[in-house]
Amino acid sequence: MTIATFPPEPKPEPSWGRYFGFCTDAKVIGIQYIVTAFFFFLIGGLLAMVIRGELITPASDLVDRAVYNGIYTMHGTIMLFLFIFPVLNGLNNLLIPTMIGAPDMAFPRLNAVAFWLVPIFGFLLIASFFVPGGPAYSGWWSYPPVSTQNPVGHLINGQGMWITAVALSGVSSIMGAINFVTTILRMRAPGMTLFRMPVFCWTALAAQSLQLIGLPALTGGAIMLLMDLTFGTSFYRPEGGGDPVLYQHLFWFYSHPAVYVIILPVFGIFSELFPVYSRKPLFGYVYVALASFIIVGLGLIVWVHHFFSSGVAQWMRNLFMVTTMLIAVPTGVKVFAWLGTIWGGKLRLTTPMLFCLGGLFNFVFAGITGIMLATVPVDIHVSNTYFVVGHFHYVIYGAAVMGIFAAIYHWFPKFIGRMPYEGLGKLHCLLTFVGANLNFLPMHPLGLMGMPRRVSSYDPEFTFWNVIASLGAFLLGVSIIPFLLNMVSAWIRGPKATHNPWNAIGLEWLLPSPPPEDNFGEDVPTVISRPYGYGSGEPLVEHQEEIERRLQLQEAAS
Amino acid sequence: MTTTTLHEEHPKHNLTGFIIFLCSESVIFLAFFSGYALLKTSALNWLPNGVEGLEWRMPLVNTIVLVSSSGTIALAEHFKGRGKMLLFRGFWLLSMAMGAYFLYGQAVEWSGLKFGFTSGTFGGTFYLLTGFHGLHVATGILLMGLMLIKSFIPGNYSGGEQGVQATSLFWHFVDVIWIILFLLIYVWQ
Amino acid sequence: MTNSSNHSINTSAIAGVSVWVGLVVVISDWMGKQAHHWLPVQASTAAPLVDDLFSFETALGTFVFIGVVSVMVWVMLFNRAEKYDETDAIPIEGNTRLEVIWTAIPFVLVMAIAFWTIRATGELGTLGPMEHIHLRNSAEEAGGYAGDRLPAEQVEVIARQWSWEFRYPGSDVSSTELHLAVDQRVTFRLVSEDVLHGFYIPAFRVKQDVIPGRAIDLNVTPTLEGVYRLRDSQFSGTWFAANQADVVVESAEAHQAWLDNAARSPLQPGLSQAVSEYAIRQARANPGWATVPPAPPPQVNMPGSPDQPHTA
Repeated sequence: MTIATFPPEPKPEPSWGRYFGFCTDAKVIGIQYIVTAFFFFLIGGLLAMVIRGELITPASDLVDRAVYNGIYTMHGTIMLFLFIFPVLNGLNNLLIPTMIGAPDMAFPRLNAVAFWLVPIFGFLLIASFFVPGGPAYSGWWSYPPVSTQNPVGHLINGQGMWITAVALSGVSSIMGAINFVTTILRMRAPGMTLFRMPVFCWTALAAQSLQLIGLPALTGGAIMLLMDLTFGTSFYRPEGGGDPVLYQHLFWFYSHPAVYVIILPVFGIFSELFPVYSRKPLFGYVYVALASFIIVGLGLIVWVHHFFSSGVAQWMRNLFMVTTMLIAVPTGVKVFAWLGTIWGGKLRLTTPMLFCLGGLFNFVFAGITGIMLATVPVDIHVSNTYFVVGHFHYVIYGAAVMGIFAAIYHWFPKFIGRMPYEGLGKLHCLLTFVGANLNFLPMHPLGLMGMPRRVSSYDPEFTFWNVIASLGAFLLGVSIIPFLLNMVSAWIRGPKATHNPWNAIGLEWLLPSPPPEDNFGEDVPTVISRPYGYGSGEPLVEHQEEIERRLQLQEAAS
Repeated sequence: MTTTTLHEEHPKHNLTGFIIFLCSESVIFLAFFSGYALLKTSALNWLPNGVEGLEWRMPLVNTIVLVSSSGTIALAEHFKGRGKMLLFRGFWLLSMAMGAYFLYGQAVEWSGLKFGFTSGTFGGTFYLLTGFHGLHVATGILLMGLMLIKSFIPGNYSGGEQGVQATSLFWHFVDVIWIILFLLIYVWQ
Repeated sequence: MTNSSNHSINTSAIAGVSVWVGLVVVISDWMGKQAHHWLPVQASTAAPLVDDLFSFETALGTFVFIGVVSVMVWVMLFNRAEKYDETDAIPIEGNTRLEVIWTAIPFVLVMAIAFWTIRATGELGTLGPMEHIHLRNSAEEAGGYAGDRLPAEQVEVIARQWSWEFRYPGSDVSSTELHLAVDQRVTFRLVSEDVLHGFYIPAFRVKQDVIPGRAIDLNVTPTLEGVYRLRDSQFSGTWFAANQADVVVESAEAHQAWLDNAARSPLQPGLSQAVSEYAIRQARANPGWATVPPAPPPQVNMPGSPDQPHTA
């Protein structure tokens, strides 16, 4: 590698317009995904505020019951299909090509189509608020027969739009998954064997494999649901010989693995960030990487634990309880590996590190309530109560969203080229951590006492914990203000970032900030060692010093 | 497992991507198959009133035609590898015709049936499975037509033969699905 | 995780860790005992089994949670980089023995819990057969329900959008308030007229979805007199939250008296909060988003009282 092109020709500043158009650059698509996701995050969050506003008093007094049901349904749907999956796909788009040294995704046009489906089905979903009869109201599970009752009686109704939107989301995710898996399998830098791949890529590969296996089942289930709703077939209608429990099987065959699609990349984020901010290699890299695939295998055979109290036989309950419990083992391997990583390290408590530590704290808590939920007798008592709501919000918000925030703060300098502000970031972290625990911890006693989920009113004995939960929710609502302030102001006038502000090891940190359109272009470095070589002094790639010197010269020149 | 990342090598990924897609697509059929099996085994009265069962002789002929088309498409691919373009196009066209015959046979069968899409779970699953599969057959014929037209473009195969490979793979996939479907719907009565 | 790099066993560290572990064990045990107070009163034979398992899991969970968090807090307090210290820590890539230990211990633990649970579920034996039934049509309904084949100690539970109806075939009585005799095993036969519902009595620790097209048997033995709540636990539409009923567990004599009294009472509309709320809603100029209209209140002998206090 030579420095023939120095001084680099000043490239024209890429225009803002590309963020609003059909662009095939994975880095642009990644940012499009993330910004779109946060737009819908705000809408879903507002709906959550209405939910908690209604539940701050026992009576159904803030909104009509039908409106409440529509709002909680849309809250769940938006947060899953329009926030968390898109935001993770955004991270995949930014990180996978740069981490493995690929110029772009394997199928850039497919990638752009997959993204543009998101605003389309997002619009469809939001539009369902304004059709006669209101949006879907049967929860994000859309269990028949409630979901096929169609009280408004029109051909175009909220539930039908909901199913269409979810199916489109599935198409988009499948396109994304094919792209990510092909990219990881086929486009790694020279020398980057699978066991030299960063753990984030391992977890992304695992998560996207789950999408490929699980999503078609949901799509199949949704097709039959739409037929029942629209054409009067009776796949799930008991009066025609159908079986509503069949839908539950098809739905959860995907939607349980979907939880791992969400949490696995967050495990990846933890595995990337703990080493950077502890200045130590990831403890037991191989085990952490392989544990992802054990989780995939087990995650596919636990779906029945979502409806233990439905019409399933006793032997099924026992079988699926055992498989569910087994997931604790590979998950434990990961948690202990992170503890081993930070133990004896030299910790830097930056915003991303604090988010990771907070996320790990919440995740361990969620894991313990998860084991409780796996055991059938306890599950029978608390399933479909607020205990479950608390459990999965600890996973999704407490662990996954905090991990995503960590990732955003950590890689913001790389892909935007500017530094986010630490003070605002730490404030955001504090408010998120306190708000999440205040919001979701009280749900556990509520569920144990027997408060069902999805209720628009409740008996007065549940008031105390509901008030606390609502206050926590409002605090979480506030917590997003410093985040938005930070992102917008840092993007506009934050201090310029160097190519490696966190002194991290990884191919993406050997690119300028922000990276050029084709990343390394033709000069892909050859990887010569495992990732996370903190403290070993070994270079990650051939000619590493030269690459870094060139980047420093570039930075000094600009 | 080291690959270079030059732009011109991208088409090589198409087949990888397509195989991944087929694996994923098979799960949707798996979902329908297991739904069918579950509904059938737990049904109180499976067949709608007045329906005795399905006639299996004509579908069997259909099956033989469709399954043989897997052989003809493999032959076409074989000749393509030898550079015998005329034979390739001939067998390719024959495969398309056999696929079209299958669709025609199915249309004839559908029009003669005494039950509809909404006749209980039997009617629903029957039309869903055969219809969804038929959609795949139609897609396969369209893809083959596209590949046939493209084969007349000079220099079409300089970047590889991935389109032909993928189409033939898809056709085999559609055949295998049909065999399972035939066993489930017609043989298991 | 006490590593003694210089081969001299750090006795004070071991002592410190041992004291801490002991303390955590004490706290976990205490939490396990506390766990009983987070649950409603134990009003059935199932409740103690569920509660004991939950208490055990709470204790174990507390131990794991405090253990993990202790490590995190320790590291955050004592393994911080000094200001301006840009160096890396000592690179430890892993430890196979540790990996084996922390794979094996959780494996053994969860399998132990699973074993305990399977035994407990067997002991509970709440779930009876689940048979597919033909859905009844409304004409059949008017002429009286064919529930007579059930023995006396069975109660037929009919879930609707949005009311609960209880039929006592042995006494030819129906109500919208569930009355049970204490210490007497009862078999519920759960059926739904429309959509999925959930038969959930928190004080009994039982929950079973009611699935249209099926009749599901559920066995419970109430053990404590009192008034409890039955809540719909599977989302069933607009008035899902209002689809609740009272469960009165009374002495055998009182129960018999209630049955006798009910048999003398004429049929009258039962309790249905949804019906009254629906009427108010429809009277508005703009009733709002579409909803399935509630089923008319079931005709029963004993509607029950809507506002009696309940213990759980």
